[in-house]
Amino acid sequence: MSDKASGKAPEMKHSPGQPAPTGKEPLPANKPGGASAPGAGGGAVPAKPEAPANPNDVSLTIDGRSVTVPKGTLVVDAAQKLGIEIPVFCSHPKLDPVACCRMCLVEISGPRGPMLQTACSVPVAPDMVVSTETEQVRAVQEANLAFMLLNHPLDCPICDKGGECPLQDQTMRYGPGISQLVEPKRHKNKQYLISDTIVLDQERCVVCWRCIRYLEEWEDKPQLGLFERGGATLIDIQPGKPVDAKTGGNIIDICPVGALTNRVARFAYRPWEIDRTPSICTHCSIGCNLRMDSRTHSVRRIVGRENMAVNDQWLCDKGRFAHGWINDAQRLQTPLVRKNGNLVAASWSEALEVVASKLQSIKKTSGAESIGAIGSAKLSNESNYLLQRLFRSTIGTNNIDHRAGADVAALPTGLPALVDLMKPQYGPDPKADVVMLVGVDPSEELPILDVHLKRAVRRGKTQLIIVHPRKVELTRYNGPYLGCRPGSEALLINGIAKLALKQVQNSHTAPADAAGFVADATKEALRTVCGVDVDEAKRAAELLAKAKNAVIIYGPMVAQGEQGKQVRNALTNLALITGHGSRLAYVGLEANSQGCRDVGLLPNALPGHAPLSDEKLRKTLEKTWGGPIATKAGKSYSQMLDGAGSDLKALYIMGANPASERPAWAAKLDALDFLVVQDLFLTETAQLADVVLPAVSWAEEDGTFTNLERRVQRAPKAVRSPDSKAASDWMILDHLAARLGAQWPFANVHGVTAEIAKVIPAYHGLTWDALGDQGVQWDAAAITRAKPTMQPVTQETISTDGYSVIGGTVLYDDGDLFAKTPLMQNMAFGAAVGINPADAAKMGIETGSLLKVSSAQGELILAARVDPSVRAGSVWIPESLPNAPVGALRNGAAVPHVEITPGPKSAA
Amino acid sequence: MASNGFFRGAIEIARAMGVTLTALTRKPVTIQYPFEPVSIYPRFRGRHELRRYASGLERCIGCMLCEAACPTGAIYVEAEENDPANRHSPGERYAKVYEVNLLRCVFCGDCEEACPVEAIVLGHEFALAAYSRRDLILEKEALLNPSEPMVVIRPE
Repeated sequence: MSDKASGKAPEMKHSPGQPAPTGKEPLPANKPGGASAPGAGGGAVPAKPEAPANPNDVSLTIDGRSVTVPKGTLVVDAAQKLGIEIPVFCSHPKLDPVACCRMCLVEISGPRGPMLQTACSVPVAPDMVVSTETEQVRAVQEANLAFMLLNHPLDCPICDKGGECPLQDQTMRYGPGISQLVEPKRHKNKQYLISDTIVLDQERCVVCWRCIRYLEEWEDKPQLGLFERGGATLIDIQPGKPVDAKTGGNIIDICPVGALTNRVARFAYRPWEIDRTPSICTHCSIGCNLRMDSRTHSVRRIVGRENMAVNDQWLCDKGRFAHGWINDAQRLQTPLVRKNGNLVAASWSEALEVVASKLQSIKKTSGAESIGAIGSAKLSNESNYLLQRLFRSTIGTNNIDHRAGADVAALPTGLPALVDLMKPQYGPDPKADVVMLVGVDPSEELPILDVHLKRAVRRGKTQLIIVHPRKVELTRYNGPYLGCRPGSEALLINGIAKLALKQVQNSHTAPADAAGFVADATKEALRTVCGVDVDEAKRAAELLAKAKNAVIIYGPMVAQGEQGKQVRNALTNLALITGHGSRLAYVGLEANSQGCRDVGLLPNALPGHAPLSDEKLRKTLEKTWGGPIATKAGKSYSQMLDGAGSDLKALYIMGANPASERPAWAAKLDALDFLVVQDLFLTETAQLADVVLPAVSWAEEDGTFTNLERRVQRAPKAVRSPDSKAASDWMILDHLAARLGAQWPFANVHGVTAEIAKVIPAYHGLTWDALGDQGVQWDAAAITRAKPTMQPVTQETISTDGYSVIGGTVLYDDGDLFAKTPLMQNMAFGAAVGINPADAAKMGIETGSLLKVSSAQGELILAARVDPSVRAGSVWIPESLPNAPVGALRNGAAVPHVEITPGPKSAA
Repeated sequence: MASNGFFRGAIEIARAMGVTLTALTRKPVTIQYPFEPVSIYPRFRGRHELRRYASGLERCIGCMLCEAACPTGAIYVEAEENDPANRHSPGERYAKVYEVNLLRCVFCGDCEEACPVEAIVLGHEFALAAYSRRDLILEKEALLNPSEPMVVIRPE
């Protein structure tokens, strides 16, 4: 164990709480022109630095060595560049300086001689002379530490920070060594919960304000504050209001002492007893970089890892805390085969033999077209690539898809780049000056994008345009908000395009024939059909028309079904008219939504977004795969499930759980001749299966994931239970392929990565070793796409009966992966329906009262949740809630309409 | 000269026999272990034990410093938060799992040195043979309930 700990992640030496030198890297590295030769200063006589060549640079002397840094750099960062460490507590590379801990006092020469100043807040000045090691500096550091330790409890042995604590380290290095305090220490709250997942120990706090500043500067939710004065000063929440920021857990990482600790990981690890694996998060499609700390084959905690192109160094609370499922006791450990109606444990060879022989016999009797495969956007590129290879080539069908796959009108290349939306602490303004979000709620669906956008708006002057039937959190920034009637997005967007056309009439950007395509979208239609304020729409159109680099992002909520294609067409029109055609992006919400499409987990495309008719790629693939590939387009996810039991006889489901989505699908899956489910848990779908194959999670096998900006990132194996017989996806598929007569050449999963890098043009060269710890973004130009043109848009008539259902997903959805972390259960959305206060008042409903929500397809009994963000006339039932399957109300319609009646009286 | 040498030899032999004869009358130093008890020096380091406070609460706080100090990796600790209603130890934290692998232990006493609460001590029990390897991994129950409890810890 210990030998593994040392070699695993050499770049992980710095704990996130410490002033990591990598964090300062956004500073442009200047050539060391001004730096004197080592020894020239000799420490005693300060060398006079030469004037820097660049007028924006400043030269100064620190401890007798000269350094040239850009104007505005802080002394502490300039010293860092020379490798001189100035101890800090309150200063953090990602936060504004406040200079409240006084630890970084150094002597800076001024007109009145050398004076003590805080290095973390003083910017460099020409010819500044800084000394960090004089007697006075030493004395003040010692005094400061003695002062901080006055009331700091000596409970390091039980403190989770012990071993990676800057206060411990600096006390050992700069501290006085003895305490002169004989009086009893001051007592404050210990084990004080500021949220369900964060524990505050006020005694340990050194009042550095990092947590306060993070919540203010990044989350824009000042939920922590300073109370009392002097030695009694403490950090606290506002009375009765726990920290509920979606990324609040980051304050644990940046706390320089053990005041804020992770409750999920409480006492479960010691920094010297863990293996650190640099990995990525798979809860959403951002692909945040994280570090997985594990011990004895179990994940103990997750902390953020810096990647300046993806997540800066932040993680959302779901990514940080919801990892209980990895080592959950309910994980499948052995293959199960149905015998006499019951699923019983079986050996791998028996289970695979059953799968292979059944698939072969069904192929013989009903043809390959009657077999389908469903992959999952939660799984790696390798798993999904092999699944489609097995079914395309060995079985010979194109019935291959995943949830939100071919049913969604997507675009192949995702976001241009996340960095376009980011405003780091020391860095340029974001490139995108306008960001339009259509049917995406980053606060619930992509929390780190939410943090980036908030920062871009507040610090980088980005403007947000939001089109969403719910008044989402980001609407609090003063951008145009278009709360249209659910389902009317196509018309609305075409309306904005029409308004924008007027704005850009004199420029050349709009296509000549544009006017004809947007004629239907009159102001009257916007007002009556979409129900939006035309002035807001005008504002949005104006912003888009004037923007230099607008990014238009839409999500699966508005892209579903036939109407989704219309939305995509409308967005294409809008982007073409306003001249932002190359920055129109579809973002999937699952970890590997992008990668699944890239590796061809679609019924109508070969790997690399090539159409099935692409002869050149087909030849390459057939040569690599050693067999012909089916040419007829297959069925999509919903078509397969709708047709299950009738024209589809067998289904192989890997990592998906359609039975939980719609009761109708569960019945159809039950009617299949043969159902194989490969999953981590005995899900609703797995319970219907004939064979269940236990798989391992992303933490237990190497894999690559492609995030929403096409960044391919590695997720290496961190843990693996020695007791479980569960196998990796690639290995299961490999063995199955062998039993089906195919000979695959993979010795390990890296071989699959290498094959992907070989056969998919966009992934050329992206082998396991080439990806590194920060991932590589594939070039959007590598795939050939038809030049976008103006498209006709038709808006289907929207029924005005009853309430329209707003879908979308929520962060704390209580799905399989969330429910296994018991401490987070109070955060879950639960079986609830969001309803506008006006509608609620009309029906005399309050939060908590039970409602019957019914449509022609079915009904649900849900608790009301009165929520002013929900549009009047609609109700909000997020998808993926286990106890509220909104699919029960759906029948292919993207926006079902429901009746609401007060339900049975609550028993409580 | 020869007679001189003869007498000298005889005297030496008699002297040696004298030593033997006096030894015959002395009490033997051999101890009939295991039939007789062995006296042990107070600083002898034998089987580990976990101590309790007089109140019966465990001293161990599960800080894992002994595990860090152990040169052979013989100690394994898992900590957990105390349930205030059913306390194991006085503070926030206690050891849920505490195992000492006697097959690995070299009885160096570094764990005692590292322990901030003087919970783990090396006692005087040295008869540690067992019939299986598993029996040589002492779990927390065994450590907390030694046959001869509450060994007086050595003064510093």
